Amino acid sequence: MAKHETPLLDELESGPWPSFVTDIKRQAEKNPDCWDILGLLELSFKERITHWKHGGIVGVFGYGGGIVGRYCDVPKQFPGVEHFHTVRVNQPASKYYSTENLRALMALWDKHGSGMTNMHGSTGDIILLGCRTEALEPFFWDLTHELGQDLGGSGSNLRTPANCLGQSRCEWSCYDTEELCHHLTMHYQDEIHRPAFPYKFKFKFSGCSNDCVAAIARSDFAVIGTWRDDIRIDQVAVKEYVAGKHPANGGSYIGGDWDAFSIKKEVLDLCPTECMWMEGDELKIDNAECTRCMHCINVMPRALRPGAHGGASICIGAKAPILDGAQFATLIIPFMEVSAENEFENVIDVIENVWDWWMEVGKNRERIGETMQRVGLPTFIKVMGLDPIPQHIKEPRSNPYVFWEEEEVPGGFERCVDDFRKRHAA
Amino acid sequence: MGMSDEEIQAAMIEKATKSPKAQLYIKDFYKCDPDTKPRMIKNLANDLVKKGELMFWSSGSTTMYARPDRIKNEEGDSGVN
Ligand code: HEM
Ligand code: HEM
Ligand code: SF4
Ligand code: SF4
Repeated sequence: MAKHETPLLDELESGPWPSFVTDIKRQAEKNPDCWDILGLLELSFKERITHWKHGGIVGVFGYGGGIVGRYCDVPKQFPGVEHFHTVRVNQPASKYYSTENLRALMALWDKHGSGMTNMHGSTGDIILLGCRTEALEPFFWDLTHELGQDLGGSGSNLRTPANCLGQSRCEWSCYDTEELCHHLTMHYQDEIHRPAFPYKFKFKFSGCSNDCVAAIARSDFAVIGTWRDDIRIDQVAVKEYVAGKHPANGGSYIGGDWDAFSIKKEVLDLCPTECMWMEGDELKIDNAECTRCMHCINVMPRALRPGAHGGASICIGAKAPILDGAQFATLIIPFMEVSAENEFENVIDVIENVWDWWMEVGKNRERIGETMQRVGLPTFIKVMGLDPIPQHIKEPRSNPYVFWEEEEVPGGFERCVDDFRKRHAA
Repeated sequence: MGMSDEEIQAAMIEKATKSPKAQLYIKDFYKCDPDTKPRMIKNLANDLVKKGELMFWSSGSTTMYARPDRIKNEEGDSGVN
């Protein structure tokens, strides 16, 4: 039985879409505190102002993250949401669960919290919505001791790393995303559980440029699989695609009224660097020009595969729009070996180089992408100890000025005026 | 000769006690010893939290540091997110 009248919210249950209002009502039948979520939101709709306060609590004992404190400013009216803290739980790599584990997690959250969840939050974590302050420690004890699971990151911590399912299921993965994600999660436990930076910092790992975890859009430090050698071509299978024996894109477009497969229209003409052509019925690729976008491989997976020499590109600085608009990460290192054999030492070196610089130069609440934008890419590349390469350039320059550093000029900026005057009289 | 960890931590506590704002960013502590790397200052600040000299205060997206006696209760009312 509804505890509050919610005519405005009820409208959100009309229409063909799933509704969070319906979901919360269903949960409220089980846990009456949840009626107060609806009551509070209805009040906010009426008064056009939020009644959530936030800030404060950051963790359980010894932790400086993982819990996001939330309170409502009208607790007498809505006691069920007086405290409504969010708990972030580190998700398993690739989000593989057993049904047993899912049931145990839900039972645990019904016991200590509202029972409401968000599977998963944008960072990747399991988000458990709504519990009281006094429930936090008992919840944490059970989570760690019974389920062997841990909190994720929040605030100015390293955020919970996330990966695409990579080599566990995907033939395209150019490195072991799960292994790297797990290794760095363990290596940086201190940074995940306690604040470490002027602001948040996120890692994400995709096995190829299809980028199934959207690393390039959502992480400060994106590791995206790529290959160094040539795309592997099976010319027999190419002919079979051309003859219509295999459906394009693994059959994703079956049923639409597309014309018969055209390798020219659907592959060659759509290659962003125009580096593919046919010689008779042989497919040719100028691999030096290929930008490893995955398009041709996605269309003809039986015929084309990423090269055998896998590794990753490092892109830095994606962020959401709070300042200066949203931006994708910028390619910084085009290819890097990624191997568990050296415990990912080269990846860790790059990460720590970036952190040392950003902690020093970044302003309060400035994402690294904003710091890069402020100092300019040439400066950032220099800080990273890299030489500029054509891939760093987004478009031909529109600025006519060329700046030289003194050490780049033979003889430097010192000159002999007398010598100059011999050639140019004053 | 640089400052010892204890000297830096004493300067951090003083800063957190006297600063006009109760909550400080980690960067506000860097100046306590400009010769020490930011990541070391971060470790010293987190150590002070462990000892109860400082506490964390987070908006959800940013974590700040404060002297526990300068924060009224856990429901600090700053509105940053
Ligand atoms: C050795 C002597 C000089 C050098 C090397 C020099 C160099 C330059 C350069 C590189 C520019 C920029 C051109 C551009 O951006 O397209 C410029 C513009 C200009 N210079 Fe000079 N300049 C000299 C002498 C003078 C003198 C003596 C005057 C005036 C009496 C003068 C007035 C200007 C003006 C008004 C502009 C702006 C023109 C425009 O933007 O349309 N310059 N000069
Ligand atoms: C208080 C005195 C002055 C101030 C604050 C001033 C300020 C400026 C500024 C801000 C610019 C634009 C620069 C840019 O867009 O990159 C400029 C351009 C220029 N100024 Fe001045 N200026 C002053 C006096 C003078 C005087 C006395 C002269 C010449 C006798 C002069 C000649 C020029 C010229 C030729 C340009 C370039 C215009 C162009 O290329 O379109 N300025 N000035
Ligand atoms: S990002 Fe690439 S490797 Fe990872 S799951 Fe997607 S297609 Fe496969
Ligand atoms: S991966 Fe992309 S750039 Fe490379 S050949 Fe295929 S379509 Fe062209």
